[in-house]
Amino acid sequence: MRKHKHPIIIMFFLLCIIVSCIVMIALGSLKPEKPIKIIYIPKIIDDTNEFWSVLIGGAKMAAKEYNVDLTVMAPDAEEDYEMQNKLIERAIKQNPDAIALSPANYTETTEMAKKVVQNKIKLIFIDSAVDKDVEDAIIATDNFIASKKMGEFMKKFVNKDTKIAIVGHVKTASTAIEREKGLRAGLGEDESRIVKVVFCDSAFDKAYSLTEELLNKYPDITMIAGLNEYSSVGAARAVKALGFTDKIKVIGFDSSIEEVELLEEGVFQGIVIQKPFNMGYLGIEAAVKAVKGENVLKNVDSGSQLITKENMYTKENQKLLFPFLGSQTWESR
Amino acid sequence: MKKYRRHRTIFYHFKSIRMAMLFSFSMLIVFALLTFLLISLNYTEETVLDNSIDYTTQLIEQVNADIDSYTDYMKNISALVTNNSDVKEYLFDKNLTREQQDELYSGILTEFETIMEAREDIYNIAVISSDGRYIINDGVDKLNEYVSLGDLDWYQEALFYPDETVLSSSHVQNLIKNNYKWVITLGKSIKNPYSGKENGIFLIDLNYSIISNMCESNSLGERGYLFILDKEGDIIYHPQQLLLYSGLKTERTEDVMSSKTDHFVTAEGEKSKLYTISTSEKTGWTVVGVAYTSELMKNKTKTQFMYILVAAILLIAAMVISVIISAGITKPILILKDSMKEVKQGHFENANIDYIADNEIGSLSKSFNIMTTEIKNLMEKNIYEQKQKRRSELKALQSQINPHFLYNTLDSIIWMAEGNKTKEVVLMTSSLARLLRQSIGNENEVLTIEQEISYIENYLTIQKMRYKDKLEFEIDVEKDIYNENIAKLILQPLVENAIYHGIKFKNTKCLLRIEGYSRENDIIIKIIDNGIGMSEEVLNHIFDEHKVNYKSNGVGVHNVQMRLQLYYGKNYGITYQSKEGEGTTATITIPKRVAQEENNEKA
Repeated sequence: MRKHKHPIIIMFFLLCIIVSCIVMIALGSLKPEKPIKIIYIPKIIDDTNEFWSVLIGGAKMAAKEYNVDLTVMAPDAEEDYEMQNKLIERAIKQNPDAIALSPANYTETTEMAKKVVQNKIKLIFIDSAVDKDVEDAIIATDNFIASKKMGEFMKKFVNKDTKIAIVGHVKTASTAIEREKGLRAGLGEDESRIVKVVFCDSAFDKAYSLTEELLNKYPDITMIAGLNEYSSVGAARAVKALGFTDKIKVIGFDSSIEEVELLEEGVFQGIVIQKPFNMGYLGIEAAVKAVKGENVLKNVDSGSQLITKENMYTKENQKLLFPFLGSQTWESR
Repeated sequence: MKKYRRHRTIFYHFKSIRMAMLFSFSMLIVFALLTFLLISLNYTEETVLDNSIDYTTQLIEQVNADIDSYTDYMKNISALVTNNSDVKEYLFDKNLTREQQDELYSGILTEFETIMEAREDIYNIAVISSDGRYIINDGVDKLNEYVSLGDLDWYQEALFYPDETVLSSSHVQNLIKNNYKWVITLGKSIKNPYSGKENGIFLIDLNYSIISNMCESNSLGERGYLFILDKEGDIIYHPQQLLLYSGLKTERTEDVMSSKTDHFVTAEGEKSKLYTISTSEKTGWTVVGVAYTSELMKNKTKTQFMYILVAAILLIAAMVISVIISAGITKPILILKDSMKEVKQGHFENANIDYIADNEIGSLSKSFNIMTTEIKNLMEKNIYEQKQKRRSELKALQSQINPHFLYNTLDSIIWMAEGNKTKEVVLMTSSLARLLRQSIGNENEVLTIEQEISYIENYLTIQKMRYKDKLEFEIDVEKDIYNENIAKLILQPLVENAIYHGIKFKNTKCLLRIEGYSRENDIIIKIIDNGIGMSEEVLNHIFDEHKVNYKSNGVGVHNVQMRLQLYYGKNYGITYQSKEGEGTTATITIPKRVAQEENNEKA
């Protein structure tokens, strides 16, 4: 009798194992994932600046989509890289899975960026880069291409008397450097018509006063290009205030309500807009992928678009130009 | 071989019936459970999907109805405004005085403010005439001077359908200065009572609060959502409108618009979604409910898990029960088997089975019981008959004296009579007479040792007279064993053997000595001769069955030994010692009477 019982016991063991396997699998599939912790450090948090607000909005949207515990911290001024470095240091101490960063300075932020990587934290650059290749991925507008569109657009208005001035934002920022290059490339041989490049340090007032000074100094300037929201709007305000709307053509960069109005008014001939929402969203998405160890494209162009008064209300462009806020419910959630 | 092969079934490979039963039970149970599981799981999937379709269809129809009543409400407001004579007067009457204008203006403004205060979902409310008179919201907002009313799609549509209230798609309202908002515009043309033409427009810009509330208050699982398309398939409302507008996500709006049924399922495996579609006649809008099948199937997973769990428990229970049942069924078979094993080894004592049931095994057991009893009886009968056979053989032997012996003796008597040896003739004849009488007259199988000794004495007397130069005999038997029993015709063949094979061939006179004594419970009788003895080889074959020697009365050593053992058991019988040239001793060992009786009783 004893030897007959053996296979029965084995059968029972097998059954028990099968049943417990099923239970384990079932429980495993019900278990929720732990959220990924990401800290995003933009150049600035400024509600009046549509670019950064929308970018952070995109980042938050992605955080919600991918179940990310997202913290955003930033200095109060775009050029304050020292403050930003302190924030990065603080972020490293919190030991997140990834840090998304929009470096404030092309050279001065490099050391801190290296430190992030040394601490085995994934590093994603959004919007800007540094002078060393340290990041896991960069999501930014291809500034060269964007400003090249600008340059090519400007070229259409060039005549023999054309003199061009450029109002940049921060001399040491990678975006400013790239955009100037692109603009010059777009202009081609007419690059020689650029008489002056000034930098407003991302302040409306400074851009305004610099433009005033420029127009006094070089009264024959017929075209001004702004390289970001602050410089474009500041320059356009000055042109409008001085009554040079018809004489001087202004081409802007980035979008805001004011820029749209100025575009409708005809102060701006055109503006090149980035896709900050996409940038923020894709930046966090890339960070999530990097943390999960998935394949991440090293270099992502979030895109840009030239908008003129004529095409600003087309189906596609109004979506780009006016960030859809709906009933704002998505933000409050 | 062929005959057996027919009985080979699938169960042929199992070592025990129980294992075969367990195996087949398990197979059946597993098969039945799996079939049941598959069917029910499939059925669950179908019903879950059908239920989900029903549920979402009801849900989005409700949402559509809500939207209809919402737009109806807005249309009522627009009808109220557009039919207001004050409004028409203000917009189109060119002959109004400044005071009259202000009066109408403030009246309309109050009305607007009332509506705006009551409705949080209205961004803008305005009446605008084609020649530039307008009232917007609270009167502070101005028209955007850079936008021409005539360029706007919804305005043209409203003029084209003067009797309708037109709903725009989602768009950026750029009509109002410094104010760019994503809205849905509801527009209705206003008829100029003076020219009879549609010269004005009433508009309400709706934000998404009510619509998103309508869509979001209805949940389609955790990740499911509702969205709304306009006639052209452009998105009016989508919970991820921002992502869609940014091109980061796409929605299957084209599939929805081209779908001929009211639902479809996208086959994307894990990301498979159920789209349910409902189009409103009134607004022309399409409400689409999107549910993740994986979520719908979450219930399915739970249900399936329950099914599998129940199946597993059932399986275990069924296994346990089948183990018990198979044990119950095979127990009598095992008992039968064990019993048969006993029988095989010859133990009939424990062979009878107590098990009584009315089924096949019961009758098998009964038959087995009958069979073993029968075999037992047969075997006993066989042993008995064997014994009887021996006995009757013996009887046959005993009842006759070897005719050669008789002839030789009578021949000797004649020779002696002729020689006038009267004394010897008398002795020999009387000895022969006694011998014959003892031989014929006694029907018993068993004699006393005294009888046997006297018989052998007569026999030896005759033989001594025949071999007078060669044979001398001595009988030395203890008196106290005289009354003990011994089987008939035991000594005589051995003595005959000793004379014919040992003494006859020796030239000198030989002594044949018979000793009898008791030792413990046995009686020992020795027949000792100093004849030629036997070689070892002969000695070794002394108990072999020889051909009947016609000269003797046909009873060989073998026969004697057989009979002794038949009577007294294997422990008793004859042993021989012999040395060539020196003589032979045959030793007979038999039990005393007490022991004999016991032995007989056993048999």
